[in-house]
Amino acid sequence: MQRAIEEAGIPTILIAALPPVVRQNGSPRAVAPRVPMGANAGEPHNIEMQMNILRDTLRCLKEIQTPGKIVPLPYEYIAHI
Amino acid sequence: MSLTVFEGLQSEIYVPLTPKSIFTPVKKELKDMRVALVSAAGVHLKKDKRFNLAGDTSYRQVPDDTPVSDLMVSHGGYDNTDANRDINCMFPIERLHDLVKEGFIKESAPVHYTFMGGGGNQKVFHNETGPVIAKKLVAENVDAVVLTAG
Repeated sequence: MQRAIEEAGIPTILIAALPPVVRQNGSPRAVAPRVPMGANAGEPHNIEMQMNILRDTLRCLKEIQTPGKIVPLPYEYIAHI
Repeated sequence: MSLTVFEGLQSEIYVPLTPKSIFTPVKKELKDMRVALVSAAGVHLKKDKRFNLAGDTSYRQVPDDTPVSDLMVSHGGYDNTDANRDINCMFPIERLHDLVKEGFIKESAPVHYTFMGGGGNQKVFHNETGPVIAKKLVAENVDAVVLTAG
């Protein structure tokens, strides 16, 4: 999906919980906060974390110059579910 | 000195094949961008048809002004508990609006797109669903897309 959008000429970035899968599938740009599958964009109701993740994601969109780069983000959420 | 070449020689170790890289350079400043969300998290409007949890290549549209109370998740591939508590943890639409208010980005796109990843026919996603969504995003003058998936 990301590749199809990028092929159409729109730059994209993916927020991933599983960076190895993302690498394997040839994502053009990605970030990887330390989150479980199901909370890629941050802990539920933690507005500060979600804001930081989305803001850093957009910054990385601008900064990443190499196709396939995955940038780790320094936010951690461990789900107790 | 010449190198010895063996035609058709293959390693016995399986190595993953990664698709050819695709990369569209960013041209605008973030503060001038119209940004859309595209999510594989199976988010959709409560009134929409649910995704088929066994594999579904269709997609749903979420208008930008949809209240989060009208959104839900149907996805068979991950624990939906957190997304049910707060849809923003898979589909950060309220955070996107917050960034517009901050002036960090110019605006959010009129429509966001969602589908159910982690299953379904990958060929259909790549050759049909993906290009259809991409075409709509281009028509809606979207400058950048943030995806949540994987």
